[in-house]
Amino acid sequence: MSQPWTVRYRPQTTREIAGNKLALEKILLWLDSWSKAKPPKGAVLLYGPAGVGKTTVAEAVARERGWDLVEINASDKRSGDILSRIAGLASTQSPLFGRGRLILLDEVDGINLRTDSGAIIAILRVIKESQFPIVLTANDPWDPKIRPLRDACLLIELKRLGLRQGIPLMKGILAKEGVIADEEALRSLMERDRGDMRSVITDLQILTGPQKTLTLEDTALLSNRDRTESVFEVLRIIFNSRTVAQARRALDKSEVDHEMLFQWILENTPSQTPKPRELEAAMSALAEADLYFARIRKTQSWHLLSYALDLMTAGVAVAKETSPGGWVSMKFPQRISSMSRSRGTRELRKGVGALIGFKSHISSRRGSKLYLPMIQFIHEHNPEKYRQIAEWLDAKEPLDEILSLDSELAA
Amino acid sequence: MEAALWTEKYRPKRLDDIMDQEEIVSRLKDFVKRGTMPHCLFAGPPGTGKTTAGLCLAHDLFGERFQDAFKELNASDERGIDVVRTTVKEFAMMASLSSVPFKILVLDEADNMTGDAQGALRRTMENYTNTCRFILCCNYSGKIIEPIQSRCALFRFTPLPEEKVVESLHRIAKNENLKSTEGGLKTIVEVAEGDLRKAINILQAASSISKGISEETVYQVVGRARPTDVHEMLNHALKGDFLKARDELRNLLVKYGLSGSDIVRQIHSEVFRLAIPEKSRISLIEAIGDTDFRLVQGGDEEVQLSALLAHLAAQSSVHRSVREEHVTALDR
Repeated sequence: MSQPWTVRYRPQTTREIAGNKLALEKILLWLDSWSKAKPPKGAVLLYGPAGVGKTTVAEAVARERGWDLVEINASDKRSGDILSRIAGLASTQSPLFGRGRLILLDEVDGINLRTDSGAIIAILRVIKESQFPIVLTANDPWDPKIRPLRDACLLIELKRLGLRQGIPLMKGILAKEGVIADEEALRSLMERDRGDMRSVITDLQILTGPQKTLTLEDTALLSNRDRTESVFEVLRIIFNSRTVAQARRALDKSEVDHEMLFQWILENTPSQTPKPRELEAAMSALAEADLYFARIRKTQSWHLLSYALDLMTAGVAVAKETSPGGWVSMKFPQRISSMSRSRGTRELRKGVGALIGFKSHISSRRGSKLYLPMIQFIHEHNPEKYRQIAEWLDAKEPLDEILSLDSELAA
Repeated sequence: MEAALWTEKYRPKRLDDIMDQEEIVSRLKDFVKRGTMPHCLFAGPPGTGKTTAGLCLAHDLFGERFQDAFKELNASDERGIDVVRTTVKEFAMMASLSSVPFKILVLDEADNMTGDAQGALRRTMENYTNTCRFILCCNYSGKIIEPIQSRCALFRFTPLPEEKVVESLHRIAKNENLKSTEGGLKTIVEVAEGDLRKAINILQAASSISKGISEETVYQVVGRARPTDVHEMLNHALKGDFLKARDELRNLLVKYGLSGSDIVRQIHSEVFRLAIPEKSRISLIEAIGDTDFRLVQGGDEEVQLSALLAHLAAQSSVHRSVREEHVTALDR
């Protein structure tokens, strides 16, 4: 086996990239817009499961335009410092010989916040200051830790390849290698690898040895890759399971942590379980699971975890007696999004609460609880009086900010 | 600069200024006269004058030396054992410079202190009695460990009687040139339930709309502070619209900042007004009680209350289908 096929047949231009035409168009449009001025979003976040071509796309567009590709990958050491030095250099230095550049920050969801505490801030700074387009890639764009990046980027999804795009691609490679293959074998590989083309091509190469043929029987030699499913698929499995064991197994495939998965299930249970009786049973299972989580927190008895997990997966699954009619889309947990949205005001509230508490002889918590609603009311009805109060509290700035954020939230 | 919050502007400065809690005040005045006092535990609901009494007592005792001899710590914000071992101890051990031989340390919201911190406090109180007297303020004396209770003189503050609240509001209204109707003040008093801070805050908020304090202006204020949306939420659930009910629940929790047990309590009081069969009322009360208990056990507010709403929605679908069957039977 000489060169891996995944390298040998890596698309060189965007035209060679299979599938995801719409996403590609979006990226090219965005890149074109750079020729006039830096667009409002200075970076693109390419997201999607493994092996759909996120990195390939970035490499192909750079090559096509004759740009230098500056790449920083998850496997590199990337503390905030190093990151900002490399990327900062690449993004602000004026290019020699007028060559353009594309900056690729690969696998940003792989950032370890504990060891790379400054990384997110460093990336945000790079996006802001960059004179060149930046492409970020991630498997899971909803990972809370990259939330700030989400807001700074144009989000473009690369989807898994279907049979219609995947099979011609496989055939093209096999033709060049002089291999004759059954259509069924190719289908089976596509299904097994679930549209992950990197896996598909690797499998193809392993299976076609010197014999230059490939049959369905050959594919049975492969063992299934362990792969984690996106949270959407985990949810789909849970909501469509008929048995306890089936639902429980979904958990092994989940890559999000239990608490997060719980929030996802909680958010989507009502829409997935529209019948009131069944919803009651499902919500009651979730409430039971929640109690176990509380007990675990209180007593640190982690052996209780498995009951909580059973209840939140299987408990919800078997509550549903009827099969789901059609596809209902899954929603991101509002709890998580509103928490990160209000995180800013929570800190502000605490600060203002402390100022109120200091002048009113109460704790900061009660300061904000007892006085903020009243101050908000006065702000709406009598700006002049509000100003007097805010200034007396030495809290004009944070108060202004809380009130404007609140009205944004309300809108 | 004059205090912009009326609760501060009109906070009594000396014991003589306090209009209520007469028995307590007279005993505190006695301490001033004799120039000595024990450690004290002020227990009672919010807005009944515990902190004020402590402040006035210190003012009367120390006069000009108030700044040096008095310290106030909020136990909710600084309730760890470290604070007791450092800040509290440092203040307590330094001898007073004033003519009164001791200093006063007020620990507000002391019932929020951890058990460990209370334990540590007990030695500090004992060791430095000569140089420092403690006033612990709390809502529930039961949350203060017994060894501390036994070292303190206990003063129980009661919710202020309506006429005292009205009197205070009148005084403030006059000073602020407000025109208040009897009904306006009465509404405030009803809502405040003996909590003077709350009453004054409502008055100040209402005055921002107009100088005339009427029932309407007051309702505008308390409508904000006390959402009636619990009723709405229940109605959605009873109509079987769980998603709308849950949205309303999230509103109450996030936007209005109500606590889960606040909401449970309000749901409970609504039970008697809902249009449901009598038998369902009882089973509903059972479900509400169960939710309340789960919250006490540390259950998540949104999760547990959502489950209760789902239960309600399911009950309603039973009622509805019974009704519908009834109708179709009649049609035949």
